[in-house]
Amino acid sequence: MSRFLVDRDGETRVRLSEGMELTKTQSVLAVVGLVVLFAVPDITRLTGLSFQAIHRGILFGLAAVGLNLLLRHTELVSFGHAAFFGVGAYGAAVLASHFEVSSGLLLLLGGVLAATTIAVLIGYFVSGYLDIYFALLTLAFNQVLYAFVLQSGYFNYSDGLSVRPDGLNPPTLFGLQWTSTGYDLILYYFTVVVLVGSLLVMWKLVNSPFGRALDAIGQDRTRARFVGIPVEKYVWIAFVISGIYGGLAGGLFALLQLHVSPDPTLYAFVSGEILFMAILGGFGTLVGPVVGGVVLVYLLIQAPFYVEYYNAVTGLVLIGVVLFLPEGILGSVPKIGTGLARRRRDPGLLRDDIAAIGSSIRRGVTRAVTTVRIIVFGVN
Amino acid sequence: MTTGLTDAMETGGIDRRTLLKTVGGSALAVALAGCTELLEGEDDPLADADVPDEPVESGLQTFTEGAPSVLGVQARYGAETAVRRINENDGIAGRQMNLDVVEESDAYLTNYQQFVDDGKDVTFGPISSSGHAEMVPEIEAQEVINVSTDGTVTTLYEEDFPDVTYSFRFQNHDVMEALAAVEQAVEVLGADSIDTYAGINPNYAFGQDEMELFSAGIEQLTGAEEVYSGFPDLGTGDMSTHITEVNSEAPDVVFSSCWGGDATLLLEQGHANDMFDAIDVLVGPVLYGSANDLSEDLVRGPIYSGSRNFYWGEPSTDRWSPAADLVDEVQSEYGVVPTAHFMSGYGAVTAWATAAEKAVRLLGRWPEQEELAMVLENHGFFTPAGYHTIGADHQGYSNAHFGELTWSDEHDAAALANVNVFAAKNVSPPPGEISADWIGSW
Repeated sequence: MSRFLVDRDGETRVRLSEGMELTKTQSVLAVVGLVVLFAVPDITRLTGLSFQAIHRGILFGLAAVGLNLLLRHTELVSFGHAAFFGVGAYGAAVLASHFEVSSGLLLLLGGVLAATTIAVLIGYFVSGYLDIYFALLTLAFNQVLYAFVLQSGYFNYSDGLSVRPDGLNPPTLFGLQWTSTGYDLILYYFTVVVLVGSLLVMWKLVNSPFGRALDAIGQDRTRARFVGIPVEKYVWIAFVISGIYGGLAGGLFALLQLHVSPDPTLYAFVSGEILFMAILGGFGTLVGPVVGGVVLVYLLIQAPFYVEYYNAVTGLVLIGVVLFLPEGILGSVPKIGTGLARRRRDPGLLRDDIAAIGSSIRRGVTRAVTTVRIIVFGVN
Repeated sequence: MTTGLTDAMETGGIDRRTLLKTVGGSALAVALAGCTELLEGEDDPLADADVPDEPVESGLQTFTEGAPSVLGVQARYGAETAVRRINENDGIAGRQMNLDVVEESDAYLTNYQQFVDDGKDVTFGPISSSGHAEMVPEIEAQEVINVSTDGTVTTLYEEDFPDVTYSFRFQNHDVMEALAAVEQAVEVLGADSIDTYAGINPNYAFGQDEMELFSAGIEQLTGAEEVYSGFPDLGTGDMSTHITEVNSEAPDVVFSSCWGGDATLLLEQGHANDMFDAIDVLVGPVLYGSANDLSEDLVRGPIYSGSRNFYWGEPSTDRWSPAADLVDEVQSEYGVVPTAHFMSGYGAVTAWATAAEKAVRLLGRWPEQEELAMVLENHGFFTPAGYHTIGADHQGYSNAHFGELTWSDEHDAAALANVNVFAAKNVSPPPGEISADWIGSW
C-alpha cells in the first residue's frame, strides 16, 4: 500500500489526509463530481442549460450544507437560515454601496464577518432550546432581521442595494476588472474552489471529536451532558459555523447577482427552501444539500417559464421526496443501486415490481370507483 | 401633439397620405397605430430586405398574480394585443413575432438572464421600479435590448444610468405624472387657493420619488406648505392612521401615488373616514390603474386621477377611431377596460417593433442589437394613445392624462371626465436635464 492507499477491513481506500479516506466508489464519484463542477460552463454552453441557475443553486446548496450541520448532527431544525444568507449578502452590498469597496474578496469577507456576528448573537439565544422552540426562535430572528431591513432606509427598503461599487461595473476579482463573461466565469470557478474547500472542512469537522459530540447531542442531550459535553456551548459553536456557511454563500450570491434585496435573500420562505434543499438532496450525506440546492433552485427558476401553477412545484417535489425518496436524491443512490444490482442478478424481480405496480393501480381505481359510487348513490 | 397629424385631426380626421407620411410609410407602424384600414392595397416596400425567416422571439416579465397583477395583467394584455396585430399584418419586415410571458415576482434578473439564455431577440418589462433599476446593468452587460413597460423612477436614466445603450423605457417617468398632478390641482383649485398639501404614498422608491417631485412642483408653482407626508407599506392592510393625520391637518390638496389594492384601500378608508369632506381635492397619478376594481361608490368625491400616457377616451373616440377600436377589441378579448398599463405593454412592443422595421428599411437587412438600439434612440411612433417618442436618454415621452374620477354606465367601470392632456414638454424636462433642477427653474 502506498501513502495514498490504505487497507481497511479488507477494502482498499484512498487516503486524502489523516482520517479522510474514500472507498473506490466514493473516489470515482468525487472525481466525476469535480470534473462535472469544473465543466459546468462548457456543459451549459453545449446543452442550453442555464449557467446562472446552476451557479445560484450551488450557492444555496452551500448554505444548505451549513444548515445540515445542525439538522444531521444536532438534529435541530432551523427555520431561519436565510438570516445568515441574507446578512452575508447585505454585508457585501453595504460595503459596495455605502463604502465603495471595489474588491470582491473584501466584499465577501465583509459579508462573512457580518453573518458570523449575527450567528454568534442569535446562537447565544437559541442554543439552549430544542425542537419546535428552536425552530420558532430561529424563524423569529429571521423575521426580525427581514422586517428591519425592509423598513430601513440604510438598506434601501424593499428595493435593496447594488453590489456595483461604481454603480455600473461589477467589483474586481483578484485585483482585476473583468468583462461580464469573464467575471461570471472567474466567480464560478472561485465558487467551486470555495465549495470544495467548505465540503472538506465540513467533512473534517463532522468526523472530528467535536462532530461526534454533536452526534451525541443530537441523539440525547441529557446523556451527552452527563458524559461531560458542554451541550449549549457546542450547539452555539455549531450554530455559528452553520451561519458562517450561510454568510459565505450569501456573500458569493451578492457577487453573483450584483444586487441584493430582502425578498430573495432574507424572507422566511428562503429559509424553508434552504431547509428543503438539504432534505431533497439527502441530509444524511455531506454533498446531498448541494445537489438539493442545484435541483431545487433550477426548478424554481425554470418552472415559471413552463408551467402556470409554478408555485406548486416546491410542494409537489416535497411530497414526492417524502413519499418516494425519504432519504433524498443522493441518500437514495445506494438503495437504488442495490435494487438495480439485485434485479440485474435476478430479472424475475422485475415481474414482481410490475405486479406490485399493477395491484397498486387496481387498488387505487377500486377505491376511486367506490368513492364515486358512494357520492352518487349513497352508502347503500 | 404639434404634428401635421394633429392639424388633420383638428379639421375633422386623418387622411391616408398624412398618416402614412407621418409614420414613415411603414405598414406595420400604421397597423400598430390602429389604422389598418388605411393599408388596403399597399405594396410591401420591405420585400427585398435580407430578413431571416424565423419568427422574432420575445419575452415579457410582468406581474401575473397577486396584488400587483392589477397592473401587470393589463401590461400583458397590451403586449399580447400588439403582437397579435403585428402577426395579423405580416409581421415585422415579414417576420412573425412570438411572445413568452413570465411572472415578474422578484426574479427580475434571473428572468432576464433566462430570456437571454433562451435566445430572445428582445425582452420587455418589468412593472417594478426597483426591478428595473436592478436590471439595467445586466441588460448593458448582456447586450440584448430590453424595453421596460414601467419601472418609472425618474432618477433611473437621469442620474443612476445616464449613459446606457440597450436599456429603454416606454412608459412616462414619474416626473411627468407627478407634475401633471400638480397642474391638475392648480387647474381645479387655482394656485392662489392652494396653501397646504399632504401626501400618502407607498413606502418604496416609486412612492418616494413621486412625492418628492410633487412637493417640488407644487411648492414652486403655488408656494404651498407640506403639512403631512405618510408612507404606508406597499400592500398594507390599513391606511387609517395616515387618513386621520390628513383629516386633522385638512390640507387643500392630497397627493397619492398609491396603486393597485393600495389605491382601492385609500379610497375605501378615505370615504369611511370622511377624508373627502376634510380636503379640497385628491390627486392620484395612478388611481385609475385600478379602474377595473373600483366600484361606483368609491369614485364619488373630489378625486382626480392620472392615466399616464393613455386614457381610452382621449382623444375622444368619435374623433380618433383607433382608441375606440382598441377599447372594443380589449373588452371583447379580455373583458376589461384598457388602462395606461395596457398601453405600457402595447407601447413597449410597438416601440421596438416599429424601430426594428425602420432599421430594416435603413439597412436592407435585419439589424444587430446595437444598430437597433441606435434606431430606438429618438424614435417616434404612434399607438392608439397617440404619438410617442423614445428620447436620446432612452426614456419614453408622451402626453400625460389627468381627469376627474367618475363612473361610466356604458362600460360599467370607472372612467375619467374632463380629461386634461398635458404635453410632454410641459411636465418633463428635456432629455439630459435633471428634473429637480428643471422644476427649480420654473
